[in-house]
Amino acid sequence: MSSRAPLPQFSSSVKLKYVKLGYQYLVNNLLTFLLVPVMFAVTLEVVRREPEELLALWQALHFDLIQILCSLFVIVFAGTVYFMSRPRPVYLVDYACFKPPASCRVPFSTFMEHTRLINSDEKSVQFQMRILERSGLGEETCLPPANHYIPPRPTMEASRAEAQLVIFSAIDDLLRKTGLKPKDIDILVVNCSLFSPTPSLSAMIINKYKLRSNVRSFNLSGMGCSAGLISVDLARDLLQAHASSNALVISTEIITPNFYSGHQRSMLLPNCLFRMGAAAILLSNRRRDARRAKYRLVHVVRTHKGADDRAYRCVYEEEDGEGHSGISLSKDLMAIAGDALKANITTIGPLVLPMSEQVLFFLTLVGRKVLNTKWKPYIPDFKQAFEHFCIHAGGRAVIDELQKNLELSEEHVEASRMTLHRFGNTSSSSLWYELNYIESKGRMRRGDRVWQIGFGSGFKCNSAVWKCLRTVNPPVDGPWADCIHRYPVNIPEIVKL
Amino acid sequence: MSSDQAAVTGHRFSSVVPGDVTGSAVVHELGGMDLIMKLHYLRAVYYFAPSEVVDGLAITDLKKPMFPWLNVYYPLAGRIRRAAEGGRPFIKCNDSGLRIVEASCSRTMDEWLHVEEGGESRWRSLVPDKVLGPELYFSPLVYIQFTRFKHGGMAIGYSWAHVLGDPESATNSINLWGELLSGNPQTVIAQKNEENTEEPVIAPQGPAPALVPAPAPIKQVEIAEDVWLPPTHRKMATHCFRITETELQKLHGEQVPPFETISALFWRCLARIRSRREPELATICRSGTPAKNNEILHNKFRTSTIKLDSSAASVELLGLATKILKQDMDEALVDRDNSTGEQDFLLYGANLTFVDMGGIDLYGLELKGQRPVRVDYSVDGVGEEGAILVLQAPQRTDLSVMVILPEDEIPSLCRVLSSDFGIA
Repeated sequence: MSSRAPLPQFSSSVKLKYVKLGYQYLVNNLLTFLLVPVMFAVTLEVVRREPEELLALWQALHFDLIQILCSLFVIVFAGTVYFMSRPRPVYLVDYACFKPPASCRVPFSTFMEHTRLINSDEKSVQFQMRILERSGLGEETCLPPANHYIPPRPTMEASRAEAQLVIFSAIDDLLRKTGLKPKDIDILVVNCSLFSPTPSLSAMIINKYKLRSNVRSFNLSGMGCSAGLISVDLARDLLQAHASSNALVISTEIITPNFYSGHQRSMLLPNCLFRMGAAAILLSNRRRDARRAKYRLVHVVRTHKGADDRAYRCVYEEEDGEGHSGISLSKDLMAIAGDALKANITTIGPLVLPMSEQVLFFLTLVGRKVLNTKWKPYIPDFKQAFEHFCIHAGGRAVIDELQKNLELSEEHVEASRMTLHRFGNTSSSSLWYELNYIESKGRMRRGDRVWQIGFGSGFKCNSAVWKCLRTVNPPVDGPWADCIHRYPVNIPEIVKL
Repeated sequence: MSSDQAAVTGHRFSSVVPGDVTGSAVVHELGGMDLIMKLHYLRAVYYFAPSEVVDGLAITDLKKPMFPWLNVYYPLAGRIRRAAEGGRPFIKCNDSGLRIVEASCSRTMDEWLHVEEGGESRWRSLVPDKVLGPELYFSPLVYIQFTRFKHGGMAIGYSWAHVLGDPESATNSINLWGELLSGNPQTVIAQKNEENTEEPVIAPQGPAPALVPAPAPIKQVEIAEDVWLPPTHRKMATHCFRITETELQKLHGEQVPPFETISALFWRCLARIRSRREPELATICRSGTPAKNNEILHNKFRTSTIKLDSSAASVELLGLATKILKQDMDEALVDRDNSTGEQDFLLYGANLTFVDMGGIDLYGLELKGQRPVRVDYSVDGVGEEGAILVLQAPQRTDLSVMVILPEDEIPSLCRVLSSDFGIA
């Protein structure tokens, strides 16, 4: 157990651990503890008295039939209103991730050699090499076929080809796993930030799979790497509005059109980190799907810091001095991400944290304001609220920063690090690769809670909380199937190229 | 020549890497014989006639089998490194990949193959002519060019750095690719050689190698620093002769095998042409004995140098051929210790070199049942004495002869051969 800042001196003592445990049990089960003596007292009273006395007590209350019926009616009415106004549960029946073929593989040495041949500026080449060395990526990440050319050929046709390859593979996989028929899809939500052709990618899917003419389709573009959770949020809202429906959510990022061919350093990072990926998710609110669903969606919390100018310009697509367009990442990206995360935690904390943590947080907050402002803010222990964490694999720095902020152990961030190593930054679909990693390792048990955190341009921080409905046993069919036995790997700080 | 080059356009470059990660510490050691061959490059062009099968193969179909292929031949995807500054070179198997070139030709394959005028080195436009260097660490060892002709047909150009292996290794490698593409169920993919994770060999300390004179088949040349090509003062050119079965029989009857007969023939002709500088020495080069272990990449030769007391032109053809036949072949070159790579050598062209490649299965490259209608094979980085390659021809009974000589000697050679022997 790590030492907490607000409790300095005896924090390393073992006895403190038991004090903490005792405190948590007490506060989290307070109602039970209060109720038990009351129930005990009542039972004692009832047992003490004779049955005739109880009957006399009952008749003394002078209930007649009308009153009983009215009370019953009120209770039933209240109960019905309560049950009807609860939100429909949203189930995640299953999901599938795109597994890139070996023919798209880009080893480090090939990437560096191509960069030297394409980019005439020696400094840019050195810069990209340093990024790659520290990136946390492995030698098996994949780029689309158009990017294997010297120089890359980002035509519209190549972009569509990549979109078809990644999206259709993921959907085919999902249809096979769930037995879903395309004609049964009621809602379709697609998110792809940087490639937005006409007709849209959702129209492309409807055309290929011959979906119904009254399917409700939505195509979200330009919303960055956190758009996966935005799509899930949209699907959830639609599933509240339409009974007995299902929703197909596709999260992807198309790399082909976005190769940056200039020299500006702030724009070179995406070339080094972004890789091919896609995920297809099937959500449903049908009761019969509850039996075979893997997860239930508990909360979605979205935080947008775009009102702040600095956050708005943090990830900005623009043209550089020579007219090459690329995505510029500002230097204070990490700080802004930290701020966005804090805002998100402040909203999600009360929804998911156990009472013990919330009380501590509240007391520390009051204490800081009233008693002593030098107290460090209390960081709630989210490990008590969740068993698994899926942190967007945006880059090694993002994962390090979040690990530090949330005080997570290596095992908690293992899924994120290994996804970054094996697949690179696949943008909005990375959260699903990470979830698949956890399942493939056999760590997902019934009742486990998962927290998915996505960051994206805007600047947005979005969270989704899922609860596992059935234990997932390996071997799991998915992108990790053939390589999970090799993981986890030790990723060195700097890879020697 | 330049109109041939202008006819091939639309070059697009990409890379192909092994499908599986080779590992971060895998190294392919270069033996003494490999380093002797480092200044030579094999260039092959395979011509496939227009057909539905070949023309239906898209670039993705051509590239797809290369990924499992390179899992077996992963050193092809590596890059040269040196053990230390100026130290012994080796190949770091870092999966950098092969370079693939796609191009198209504005002429039909018929026009390309059968126009006689100025067409001797036309094959050059169909295969990349790159060498290792000047950026040694980033130079691909193998290039493959796919050129599509107008109205169908394809030429596959295969450029191979000789430091990787001999023509037999090169041909076996590309034939395996053909088998994988054709999807033959009998293709057995050899297991990756697990022993290749050793540390680079530390050069043994000993007397400076410069004191030991080079044996006769090879000649020492000045060090090629970062560009691995021999210094040449004369421009080399190539020409291909086809020798039919009847012509062979006219030459020797049944007494001497074809390779020796042809070598003797060309030796005599060249002796006549080079009246001032007659070739008294000639090197005969044959494939080495098959490798005992599972090495798929090797440089194994049996060589022998013949010294004549008198001019070759004065010796009778049959006698010369018999002398070549009876020569003892020597495999000792393999043991030559060129540990630090301080010396650079030439094998082909150090003396007039005759290379027997009749046993190499050039026409074994099969793409879904289609075999090449013609194969041009040449070597770059040949010394000034020249080299003569005796190859298989499309007709099993014939032979092709590719001569690599200083360009001013070729017209005279053609004249002598056609006038005296009726060989075109």
